[in-house]
Amino acid sequence: MKKNQQISGKTWLKSTKLLPLSAFLAMVTIMLFTLNSVLATDQPETDEVMDTTEVITDEPAEQTEQQEEAQPEEAAEEVSPYVRGEYTTQQIRRGERLFHGLAPFGSGLHDCASCHYTQPQKEINWNPAAIEMARLWEQDPGYSIMDIMNNPVSMRLMEDHAGMTITAEEQHLLEAYYTQLLEKGPGELKAYPIRAAIFWGLGFLMLLAIVDLIITRKIPFKGVHIFILFIGIAVHGQFAMAEAQRLGRTQDYAPDQPIKFSHLIHAEENEIDCQYCHFTADFSATANFPSNNVCMNCHNVVRTGTLSGAFEINKIHRAADNDEPIEWIRVHKLPDHSFFSHAQHVNAGKLDCAECHGQVETMHIVRQVEDLSMGWCLTCHREHEVDFFDNPYFQIYERLHEKIKNGEINGVTAAELGGEDCMSCHY
Amino acid sequence: MEKKYWQSIEETNPDYTPQKEESNSSTIEILTDDTNVKSTSRRDFLKWCGISFFSATVISACENPVKKAIPYLHQPETLTPGKANWYASSFVDGNRFCSVLVKSRDGRPIKIEGNDLCTFTGGGTNAIAQASVLSLYDDGARYKYPAKKGEKIGWEIADEQIKKALREAGEKGKKCYLLTPTLLSQSTKELINSLKAKYPALEFVSWDAVGYEAIREAHLTAFGRAAIPDYRFDKASLIVSFSADFLATWVAPVSFANRYAKTRKISESNPAMSRHIHFEAGMSVTGSNADERVPVKPSTELDIIMELYNEMAALTGNPVFSSPASGYDTKALAEEILAHKGKSIIVCGHNNLQAQILINAINLMAESYGNTLDNRKTLNMGQGNQEAMAQMIEQMEQGNAELVMFYKSNPLYNYPNADRLKSALANVPMSVSFATAKDETAKECTFILPDNHYLESWGEAMPVWGTHSLMQPVMQPVFNTRQFQSTLLAWLDKDTDYHAYIKEYAEKALFPRQTRYPDFQQFWINTLQAGILETDEVFAFDARLQSGVVSDAVAQLKTQTANTAQVQFMVHENVAMADGSYANNPWLQELPDPVTKIAWDNFAAVSPAFAEEHNLKDGDIINFNSVEVPMIIQPGQAMDTISLALGYGRTFAGKSADKVGVNAFRLLTGSAFLWDVATWQKTGSGHQFARTQTHHSMEGRPIVRESTLDKYKQSPNAGNEIREYHLKHMSTLYPEHTYEGHHWVLMVDLNACNGCSTCVIACQAENNTPVVGKDEVRRRRIMHWMRIDRYYTGEKENPGVVYMPLMCQHCDAAPCENVCPVSATNHSHEGINQMAYNRCVGTKYCINNCPYKVRRFNWFRYAMNDRFDYNMNSELGRMVLNPDVTVRERGVVEKCSFCIQRIQDAKLKAKNERRKLKDGDVVPACMGACPSKALVFGDINDPDSKVARLIKDPRNYHLLEEFHTLPTVGYLTKIRNKKG
Repeated sequence: MKKNQQISGKTWLKSTKLLPLSAFLAMVTIMLFTLNSVLATDQPETDEVMDTTEVITDEPAEQTEQQEEAQPEEAAEEVSPYVRGEYTTQQIRRGERLFHGLAPFGSGLHDCASCHYTQPQKEINWNPAAIEMARLWEQDPGYSIMDIMNNPVSMRLMEDHAGMTITAEEQHLLEAYYTQLLEKGPGELKAYPIRAAIFWGLGFLMLLAIVDLIITRKIPFKGVHIFILFIGIAVHGQFAMAEAQRLGRTQDYAPDQPIKFSHLIHAEENEIDCQYCHFTADFSATANFPSNNVCMNCHNVVRTGTLSGAFEINKIHRAADNDEPIEWIRVHKLPDHSFFSHAQHVNAGKLDCAECHGQVETMHIVRQVEDLSMGWCLTCHREHEVDFFDNPYFQIYERLHEKIKNGEINGVTAAELGGEDCMSCHY
Repeated sequence: MEKKYWQSIEETNPDYTPQKEESNSSTIEILTDDTNVKSTSRRDFLKWCGISFFSATVISACENPVKKAIPYLHQPETLTPGKANWYASSFVDGNRFCSVLVKSRDGRPIKIEGNDLCTFTGGGTNAIAQASVLSLYDDGARYKYPAKKGEKIGWEIADEQIKKALREAGEKGKKCYLLTPTLLSQSTKELINSLKAKYPALEFVSWDAVGYEAIREAHLTAFGRAAIPDYRFDKASLIVSFSADFLATWVAPVSFANRYAKTRKISESNPAMSRHIHFEAGMSVTGSNADERVPVKPSTELDIIMELYNEMAALTGNPVFSSPASGYDTKALAEEILAHKGKSIIVCGHNNLQAQILINAINLMAESYGNTLDNRKTLNMGQGNQEAMAQMIEQMEQGNAELVMFYKSNPLYNYPNADRLKSALANVPMSVSFATAKDETAKECTFILPDNHYLESWGEAMPVWGTHSLMQPVMQPVFNTRQFQSTLLAWLDKDTDYHAYIKEYAEKALFPRQTRYPDFQQFWINTLQAGILETDEVFAFDARLQSGVVSDAVAQLKTQTANTAQVQFMVHENVAMADGSYANNPWLQELPDPVTKIAWDNFAAVSPAFAEEHNLKDGDIINFNSVEVPMIIQPGQAMDTISLALGYGRTFAGKSADKVGVNAFRLLTGSAFLWDVATWQKTGSGHQFARTQTHHSMEGRPIVRESTLDKYKQSPNAGNEIREYHLKHMSTLYPEHTYEGHHWVLMVDLNACNGCSTCVIACQAENNTPVVGKDEVRRRRIMHWMRIDRYYTGEKENPGVVYMPLMCQHCDAAPCENVCPVSATNHSHEGINQMAYNRCVGTKYCINNCPYKVRRFNWFRYAMNDRFDYNMNSELGRMVLNPDVTVRERGVVEKCSFCIQRIQDAKLKAKNERRKLKDGDVVPACMGACPSKALVFGDINDPDSKVARLIKDPRNYHLLEEFHTLPTVGYLTKIRNKKG
């Protein structure tokens, strides 16, 4: 049997001269694929641009091409060539260069990209991203970058953009770039660049090892091939297993939210109680996302944030004005067949929010701390004692009360009262 | 020589001996052969590389979808995400009425419950009211915008054109007609009257497809006032019914079932119950509950009424008229009625004026009026007028009608002579339909001005004098529809806000009639919240017989019964379809008929003797009066009669209704329900019914235990003697469960259950049970978590009928739990046999091992599957799903959970309010819906609970106790009030 297999294996290899060709093709495909995936996410590029091309000029420049009060007669002359909505590819390219500081502004100010990302980021950057500004510009026909730059209205804007002015031409170029950004969309965030490199790199190495082992035979020591292949299989297997376990779970999920809302600022620095905003946690199955009017309770007055200025807070006001609710990204979610009740745990169970959600008050961006797996739920059910003595509901458990009186047990866990029953959560 | 089958060529060798073990071990050898293991070939190695590489790629590519959470801009104070709101409203449709509570989750109504504050209905519901919430989401059939000849049109333009027609008709000297069914709403009637005042050409015609006008008219003829007394079955100790199916369909079935059950529940301390005698041709729900059921031909029934009148008249000294002999011992019946003077009630379901007059006279002699018949707070049902309808059609034919409008009526389907009406309608220049959903009449109308569903409407109803029930919308209209009353207001050039109108009406008409609230706003809010206002309004009549009425009635009735054919047929409503208005409701279509257990069809029922005589069998298609109907053999059917259910055979109602069954209205030529079969014959072809119960006998086992009242009085465990034997012989090898906290138990009083199947629909609505369709029901794959088993006892021609609601018995020693290989079904700390769908791998061992056959298997994915094109296959239809219950996937087993979501909810509420759980806090869907209150649920570890008391009742028994399954569902034996 053994012989048979080996012979058939060899003959198959010999008979198929196509193997080297197919291996080559596979290699090319993988390389192209990798290249493509790198190119698809323009993030690294942006970062690069940001780091390397900082143009520092302190030339103060008083711009005269202001649209409004400053010099209206000139403005009329100057603005007319730049019609909003008409951009050439040349202008788009120049706008992009301008934004990223590859071409200097007339006033010699900083490139935009040194503070503004083009796309929303995994890590928080309190300054609005270019795409967000572009969207704002798109929605509002009266939106003018020049006005904001030349006459900043809020404190943050004034401080951060001190001495920065732009011309109508530059505005036109930036607008051109905006159109391109809007067309391309936010793009996908690259999840794990290092893991991906390891993954694809090992894949490539393994392929080379196989090719060399069978066809080219350049390296005489088979131990090298075997070493590469074993490491490759092990690492890939580990990836597969880790991913399989995470399948459907979203531990460490920390998506970018439509508003750069910081729990650290709200819950820690301003000491707002969790249930001020998430007030239904006390009596409903779901802990609500606060409706806009709850935000407005404070932000009617608080119009400028410490980190993000007015830009993020304006989003709340804009939502109210446009009648468009804010579409938050949900971080903590259980599968549909698990019926979890916040009221049960917060009110009856007297659990602290942090027991499941972690120290949210220390996070700028909310991250899912626990894996919210069934095992994790059950561990708590088995360990956590219920409010057995104070809550009259539990008086029906007469026998257990007696046992406590007799000193047989100290307390009663949720599991002992049916907290492990399937149908306490799944129905 | 015996023929031998062989599988391999070796077997043909005479010396061949099968070597099973050897071949088995050889297959294992391949795996364990160490040479194989050591020599992992290059190919195997490559395979491993590939597997690890690709599984890693594939798995990491499985991204979790980004889910958005969109809060309100301004969250309404009353609305909490994740929590249900309840609103009191009224289900009103023609004669049908039910005061209801609507459960609304996140702004969408999902469940109907009875309103306990309504003393008229007693907090019950019926199947139609339960299923009405589904019609709201019927996006396949509902009209979505106002239209003229199929073209979308604006409301204002339509209003202008119709107003113009209304005005011009008067100028031309022509008539306009508004056709409605019985209107229980006083404010709507008022509105129609103002419309009539504004447009004098408008005529208002009231017509019911299934009407009770004969009762109203009989009271006018006999007592001088057109009224229908309220039937107080709860005060009766003797009930005599002639074809009145008052527990399921007749006049006000929800109220009557509730009252009837009150006289049927007995206990050791009060061993008294009513006696119910029922005359009918077909087997109805009510008839099947009777203590004594007399199957008779409809014409004979009328003869019996005449004879009964004469016997009673003779006994009470009233004038006697000659009548044909009926062959029934009416003298004994008359004596029995008179023995229960003032405590008997005689009702008749025939829409026949003369018969109703005689019934009035009989009730008068029995002194029912003022006792069991409330002649002060009378009923408002049965306002239809057949004659006015006939006149309207005549005017239409003569071209005198300029405009005809149809509100909640669909005469082109359910008018007996629909073809004539159709050609008459072609004669009318303009017609308007206010239909909510597709119907045959709207199809032919010029304008369709869609009315709101009742859950989107304001309104009010007065089913009985002195009881006002308010209707309030639970959601914004789903489509561009407008309430009928708002349309009328628009034509009156008034503000179309019917909410304001009805509030004004309440201030004017209802507020002064009460003294509880001094301030109107306070009154309005509280009454709206309660849904019900009870006042002292009466519409009374004096039960004093006008002279000569009875003699005329007898004379006319005699001619009616004199020359009837040998074979007669009767049509009737059934619990699900009624007059056909709800035919496109898949829940109702799939509800098995309580008696025959047939879903998705109507049928001609004939008696076993008739079938034998004419060599007929179940499913044979017969042709009678030139309509082809499949037939079934119905035990208890009167000889030489055929009965047929109305409401089927819709042609333009939607995908669930069209071409299901036969339109029985087509067989009629008038409003009466008794007809001759002129011709009938077997066609030779057959039909396969979707029948959920094909075995009707208990095979001599005491599945349903019953006894008689006399025996019960002697020994309270009559009929349940065998229980003692079983209890003595109980032993088990398994450890017994202990329940530290709750132990949930459901008790079913077989004496109160009348089989109406309301609970089945309530369960379906609560637990997201899918509809599977006719074909799948034929394959016995119906998904209902609870069913009503019906058994016949006694002889075929007039059997006794027993109903047994059957849901998961939640056995303490459950046979299903022991056989599950993955422990997907197991026992909870509270005695519930729980089912974890995500654990189930679909072996179906549990189904096979369940002696009660209550487990259901998901053979398909029923949601979002074009093959099951019912409510779960549309975006809007899925809105009705209960978000607290998982929608099950293909390949898993499901069953009754005792409405665990409600138990969990009640427990949590108690915990959060820091109190003990009270008896009655947990109400499963079936129990809440039951009009008879036949089901009681509770915790037997609470010694004060109702169930703890009931489980000790000597009548209590558990189904198939001899298996030692220890069910927690208990049944109370059925007691019949039989003579002898």
